[in-house]
Amino acid sequence: MTTYNPTFALLLFLALIIVLYFLFRPNKGLYYLLRKTKKSNAKTIIEDILKLLYHNQASNNALNVNDLTNHLKYSNRLLIENVSKMIENKLLFMEGDALKLSELGNEYALQIIRAHRLWEKFLSEKTGFQKEEWHGRAEKKEHELSVDETNQLAALLGNPKFDPHGDPIPTSTGRVAFKKGHPLSELAVDTVGRIIHIEDEPEIIYKQILAEKIYLDSQIRIVEKDDSRIVFHSEGEKFVLAPIVAGNITVSILENKVLIQESTTRLSSLKTHETAKIIGLSKECRGENRRRLLDLGFVKGATVGVDLMNPLGDPTAFLIKGTAIALRNNQASKILIKKIEHGKTTT
Amino acid sequence: MQEKNVAHIIALSKELRWQIGDDFHDSLAESIYADASKIVEGSVTKGDQKSSFRIDSKIDKIVTSKIWGFPLMLFILGVVLWLTIIGANYPSGMLAQLLLDTCHPLLKEGASAIGLPWWLDGFLIDGVYLAVAWVIAVMLPPMAIFFPLFTLLEDFGYLPRVAFNMDHLFKKSGAHGKQALTMSMGFGCNAAGVVATRIIDSPRERLIAIITNNFSLCNGRWPTQILLATIFIGAVVPSTYSSLASLSAVIGIAVLGIFFMFFFSWALSRTVLKGEVSTFNLELPPYRPPVFWKTIYTSLIDRTLIVLWRAIIFAAPAGAVIWLISNIYIGDESIALWAIHSLDGFGFLLGLNGVVLLAYIVAIPANEIVIPTILMLTVMATGIPGGEGVGVMFELDSVTATADILKAGGWTLLTAVNVMLFSLLHNPCSTTIYTIYKETNSAKWTIVASVLPVVAGFVITFLVAQIWRILG
Amino acid sequence: MEKQPHSACDTCSHFNADGLKKLGVQIADFDFVVALAGNPNTGKSTVFNALTGLRQHTGNWPGKTVTRAEGAFEYDKQKYKLIDLPGTYSLLSTSEDEEVARNFILFGKPTVTVIVVDASRLERNLNLALQILEITDNAVLCLNLMDEANRNQIEIDTRALSRDLGIPVVATSARHKEGIPELIQTISELANNKIQCTPRKIKNIPQNISKAVQELSASIEKEYPEISNSRWIALRLLEGDTQIVEALKTGTFI
Repeated sequence: MTTYNPTFALLLFLALIIVLYFLFRPNKGLYYLLRKTKKSNAKTIIEDILKLLYHNQASNNALNVNDLTNHLKYSNRLLIENVSKMIENKLLFMEGDALKLSELGNEYALQIIRAHRLWEKFLSEKTGFQKEEWHGRAEKKEHELSVDETNQLAALLGNPKFDPHGDPIPTSTGRVAFKKGHPLSELAVDTVGRIIHIEDEPEIIYKQILAEKIYLDSQIRIVEKDDSRIVFHSEGEKFVLAPIVAGNITVSILENKVLIQESTTRLSSLKTHETAKIIGLSKECRGENRRRLLDLGFVKGATVGVDLMNPLGDPTAFLIKGTAIALRNNQASKILIKKIEHGKTTT
Repeated sequence: MQEKNVAHIIALSKELRWQIGDDFHDSLAESIYADASKIVEGSVTKGDQKSSFRIDSKIDKIVTSKIWGFPLMLFILGVVLWLTIIGANYPSGMLAQLLLDTCHPLLKEGASAIGLPWWLDGFLIDGVYLAVAWVIAVMLPPMAIFFPLFTLLEDFGYLPRVAFNMDHLFKKSGAHGKQALTMSMGFGCNAAGVVATRIIDSPRERLIAIITNNFSLCNGRWPTQILLATIFIGAVVPSTYSSLASLSAVIGIAVLGIFFMFFFSWALSRTVLKGEVSTFNLELPPYRPPVFWKTIYTSLIDRTLIVLWRAIIFAAPAGAVIWLISNIYIGDESIALWAIHSLDGFGFLLGLNGVVLLAYIVAIPANEIVIPTILMLTVMATGIPGGEGVGVMFELDSVTATADILKAGGWTLLTAVNVMLFSLLHNPCSTTIYTIYKETNSAKWTIVASVLPVVAGFVITFLVAQIWRILG
Repeated sequence: MEKQPHSACDTCSHFNADGLKKLGVQIADFDFVVALAGNPNTGKSTVFNALTGLRQHTGNWPGKTVTRAEGAFEYDKQKYKLIDLPGTYSLLSTSEDEEVARNFILFGKPTVTVIVVDASRLERNLNLALQILEITDNAVLCLNLMDEANRNQIEIDTRALSRDLGIPVVATSARHKEGIPELIQTISELANNKIQCTPRKIKNIPQNISKAVQELSASIEKEYPEISNSRWIALRLLEGDTQIVEALKTGTFI
């Protein structure tokens, strides 16, 4: 005990904490870096190149080797090495300067995209991970799933057609459903449409869209547009977006304006003493949460009213089918309603 | 059983699933409810709706109001805890009188009368019997008061409203409002609190509630807190304020526990548990007057006795171990002494001592026997007069006598503060650990729930000890 | 206005309350298995206790009974084993409670299923009842908490309800032990095949789904001609229930 000194012990402890922090901090810690480098093997690089080429080919964008080094975070040496390997294996061919996918390469790329989107669907339906994490996790998982595993995953999920962002999932035979849409930023004022896709890359913009609580499959109407901002109404609320953000939302234009339900709002906007009829659940309400709400009676046509407000503002108790059920605000915002007018029943 | 050829049926179902698409569950749920409302139309007539729910909504308006909601909640929780802690003193004293002061000597006499060898007599009566008797005397009365009270509130329908009021706070740390209740239940007994998490039907939030339940200061730990606060904290301030100071210290520890519960809920929901499915719904059932005597009876049977039985099962072998380590010698030192000396260094680093650490190791079955074990080990380690004999746990009626023994064992204010902290932050008792395993069915989460608080305890007591020594 | 809730079967022989013996937990050998299902907060456990004489704790909470409780009673020299299933809102989802309840009714094949519903929240409760009637034919609707319903001035035409559902309906208030003898009588008659049920099957299912269900259940019936709930199995297959797929292979639900 003669060498003991509390200051020294404390400093030693702090040093230990700092060392542990640098070893294990998420994403930047040595431990994670070590794991990451181990995983970025040839397979991952090849698959990333295939995906990049596939997506650019779809938008008629020819890429050369230089473009690859700009888009992918691998060293030049690794990329060139793998590109020549891929040409050897007939996944790619050169057309002048440009890299093109062969039939085989195309098929392979679709398999990776299938795995990626299925995994995103899985994460959205069967786990509790936040939306922001789906893409990153699927980016890793897509390289790990074999064809068999991918098919099993698809069967488990009931062979879904679209991923949670609205992107089509290629079938096992390589068919891709096609959805026609326009970027939100290009729509004229008064256009009515339905959001069919929300792009999850780049992450900064995606997070902004999520923060606005803009949901897939909601109906929208553009009310104002200029160079700096786009204003639209949806589900009884007003949204303002910068064009660069709006460009990441794809909308399919609805020609038949009879269908428009301007009076549709979200349950979260219901006030005390108001009642409403439920129109349906938003597509953003997924998996276990969606089932629970349906089981509890939040189904199309049901009448709902506010039973109790909360002293802290959230959750609110709603009276549905004779029972008071409390829901949090973020759940109530995914239930679409039409308010019932009370003019007739005045006392 | 013979395997049938069902491949074509499964293939067909897959094809049909693909054709129907994602809306299957929605459509099905909607059509069942539509069907149900059609049936109801034909067979139910409702009278004047307005008068019917009036009482319910009146109570609801009060218990969830901005002004009255929270004070009412704290008041009720306070009353329940007060009744439990204060009210349990008398029956506890009587049980202790009966089981420890009367029966124990009688059993000893009986044993010597029939000529039982000293080691068997010590092992069975001083070890097993004493531990079990102690657990019953300290544990039974508070639980027999706390659980019925809690159950009455539950049956009346008040508790779901508490969950409703508190949900916003718990949501911020990634937890479910119902955790407010399992946490309160933990003030009675952590094992019962863990069982109560069944009411949380979302997998992630339920795990959070289970893992963090141990941060609720349970019945077995309140007496330790009160005793140490009275001896050491109360002595620091002028005697007119001493009871106030020790009371605040105990409440401070309980509040600190709540703080740790929120902190670890937050941390868990953002790290290891973020992939677990999370849903929320909370039904607010109508108020129903509880059937008083039946509630008392069933809560005694269902909660109190089951928990007590488990505690006894774990306490009996612990009593045996405590007696054995004090009476088995390696060389010229008993195992207990050897362990105390080996743990002393680490204990000093944490502002504790070897006796405390050893007591927490061997008294893992029940927090109730920690203080008796500490007293017995202190007497044995220091060689001061007192106590009942080697390996025989004891407690003293007089607080000053207890204080004298502890001070002779080298206790300072720092030791007391850190034992109070460590009593809050250490592994759950083995009854709770077993219950966690039963409820989660997972070794992984059981280990997390057991190790997390003890690591927190090491870190906190270590930091307090070093800073205390630097400043003092 | 009805003063006394009528039993669904007015033609039954007089109930023999003397023949009732509460057996507590001794369930060694019994003649019939009875399952108790229902929504949370319907007083299901109170009914269970009234039937068995056990004192299981009944909390005013949804989802109290997670593991199933068992008890027994004897009536007319026949022994009944009673299983209290977890209270659920539905049987269509994946939560643990629902799995326990669903699997017991399907695989445990209780002789009679008692569906306990809250009389003042009938619509919400019928959601579960209709699902149960897809799985099993032999069921009785226990219209519980009649005292509360009366207080809230809700009147229920039990005969119309019984006709609509195709199963007997018994009004009870288990807290006050009202209607329990009638319930036991009905259970016994169902168990001894003195009453035939023709339970209502879910209607109003959208065309595309009902077509798929028909196609699928037809092919199930071809393989297993003797089962009566092929429609339910088809619904579960369309939901992607892996346990049903396994059961289909081994035929465990026969």
